[in-house]
Amino acid sequence: MFKLIVEKELKDIISSTKFAVTFGVCSILIVLSFYVGARNYQIGREQYDAAKRENARKMEGLTEWTDVREHRIFLPPQPTASLVMGISNDIGRNAEVRGRGELNPEDSRYGEDPIYAVFRFLDLDFIFQIILSLFAILFAYDAINGEKERGTLRLTFANAIPRSTYILGKMSGSFLALAVPLLIPMLLGSLILVMLQIPMQGDDWIRLFLVIVAGFLYFGSFLALSLFVSARTERSSNSFLILLVAWILSVMVVPRTAVLLAGRAVDVPSVDEIASKKSRLSASLWQEDRKKMADFKAPEGTQMKDLMQEFQKFMSKMGDEREAKMQEFSSRLNEERANKQRVQERVAFGLARVSPSATFSLASATIAGTGTQLKQEYKSSGEQYQKAFAEFMKGKTGMNMGGAMVFRMITDDNQAKKKPINISEIPEYQFQRQPVSASFGLIAVDLGVLALFNILFFVGAFVSFLRYDLR
Amino acid sequence: MEQQVMFEAANLSKRYEDGVLALDDVSFTVRRGEIYAMLGANGAGKTTAINIFLNFIEPSGGEARVDGIATHRNPLEAKQRIAYVSENVMLYQNFTALQNLDFFAKLGGKTQYTKSDYRDVLMRVGLQEEAHTKRLKGFSKGMRQKSGIAIAILKDAPAILLDEPTSGLDPQAAYEFQRLLESLRNEGKAILMSTHDIFRAKEAADTIGIMNRGKLVMQKSAKELAGEDLEKLYMQYMAGHVN
Repeated sequence: MFKLIVEKELKDIISSTKFAVTFGVCSILIVLSFYVGARNYQIGREQYDAAKRENARKMEGLTEWTDVREHRIFLPPQPTASLVMGISNDIGRNAEVRGRGELNPEDSRYGEDPIYAVFRFLDLDFIFQIILSLFAILFAYDAINGEKERGTLRLTFANAIPRSTYILGKMSGSFLALAVPLLIPMLLGSLILVMLQIPMQGDDWIRLFLVIVAGFLYFGSFLALSLFVSARTERSSNSFLILLVAWILSVMVVPRTAVLLAGRAVDVPSVDEIASKKSRLSASLWQEDRKKMADFKAPEGTQMKDLMQEFQKFMSKMGDEREAKMQEFSSRLNEERANKQRVQERVAFGLARVSPSATFSLASATIAGTGTQLKQEYKSSGEQYQKAFAEFMKGKTGMNMGGAMVFRMITDDNQAKKKPINISEIPEYQFQRQPVSASFGLIAVDLGVLALFNILFFVGAFVSFLRYDLR
Repeated sequence: MEQQVMFEAANLSKRYEDGVLALDDVSFTVRRGEIYAMLGANGAGKTTAINIFLNFIEPSGGEARVDGIATHRNPLEAKQRIAYVSENVMLYQNFTALQNLDFFAKLGGKTQYTKSDYRDVLMRVGLQEEAHTKRLKGFSKGMRQKSGIAIAILKDAPAILLDEPTSGLDPQAAYEFQRLLESLRNEGKAILMSTHDIFRAKEAADTIGIMNRGKLVMQKSAKELAGEDLEKLYMQYMAGHVN
């Protein structure tokens, strides 16, 4: 009996014109999103390579390691970030590494091309969150009350069919009829990635698979919600209206309200506030150092060369001390801000998880590696690199980088022209993205919440239907 | 020898939550090979009685039994013995007549039928062959009604419930339907039918019950009614001039 209901539901949905049209539109959008993602990745890769070449070109011909002043690191594009963009286009893609001090990533994609920020890109997050959730509503808003209106429910239950079997068959049939065909454009999209030679590693395929799983769980939750509302209302026009409101709340209102409430509940000092505090301390430290510089005196009769060396040491020591103080102060401020930000984020995301749309969005971004953790990962790996770079430069120049003045005395104009430095010796920056397994805890929470939505809504539909007036 | 009772209303009552008494101590039986027509105005309680037999609602008092099985106690068992045709047969619009028949036949537990069986039944109820593979979307009310009756025949249940089956049918189709009912009766089916159609009721039914405001105010066999003007009688009962 269950199989019969599932088959009927499959046939009924698939043979409808509504399905043909919506399935066609969704398929085109899904395939297009894969193509756009792949092309974006290729363009991003070209820009990344060009930026790296330009960075190297700037150092070409330098003959002294002390002249290496401007060295930048770049965030490489990730294949899955092109499919689920998350915050990848909002954060800076390159940062200047000075050997010490804070890293400030700049030049975000949206910052460079604000036009894309207006409507954003077509990615899997958008397709699932907006299009497919509406698709689910469109097909299931009248799943129960529509059958009643059409008179088929009465005729069906004139037969010996348990209500539980019917509602289970209805849910399974609708899900199979609507979700499984969507695997076809997904597979086509994956084929496009292969054909366009996007370097998808095993980890990337797992990520893509998990995004699709999350998408189907999200889709299922809207399907179950539609079934639930349909089993609670008499008229299909009413259920459609209720579901539309629920959709707006889930997609638009709840996530924004959650962020707003979290912003009110947890006060995070602004970047400007922090910068102002840092700059005040920096100014006062400079003031002190200027006094020390004025007091600098070399012993009488010191040779000019020794004097310069002595002054360089003095400056370097003073710079190190100042930097250490600044570093300590900045770290403290940054940590305080980061802690508050984390609390705010937890509150915001926790509240937003009331909405299946927000939960899916968080899940897909975490899975794709483009959630809020991306910024932190980039910064941490940049800071690690900065240390390695500073060590390398100290080895080459004998000095700590940044803050100190370099005095160079040319004593012999006729000396042989110096050879350029070998810039390939500079350690290469590698962005180490966390493997998907590292975020599995976070992913499991979101997938669990989405599964819970499915269960809750379906239980609601099930219980409502057991008491549903079939007349 | 008396035939087996298939439908039995035993002191059946139904009071809705809003206090309306839709059925008031109604009792009747329908045996195999018998057609029972329930006549009555809208709101007389005919559909309420049918809904109780289908277990769509539970009785407030008394019992509705199908083949001796109380419908509210063992609805699935009871429904295995019932075939039902509603007033407005609305089948699955995206399915063809054959697909609808296939689905509802299987739902009724009949999995052995072939396409040719479905075609035979559709021909029997008078649905032209070219309509068999057409989607129900384009069907007229009469065509849908015929498809509904075909579904009821395919179920091959001993008890058939018909809710206003001739409503909306043209005279020719109504006549054909009457012939069909008679042949089903001859096959030994018990048929309980609610109708407004006094003429068809008198022509086809073996027993006629008139319902008014939830009460079964009259119940007579076709023999008892022979020579009587049923329409006049009906009007008198409706007006409350006869007790």
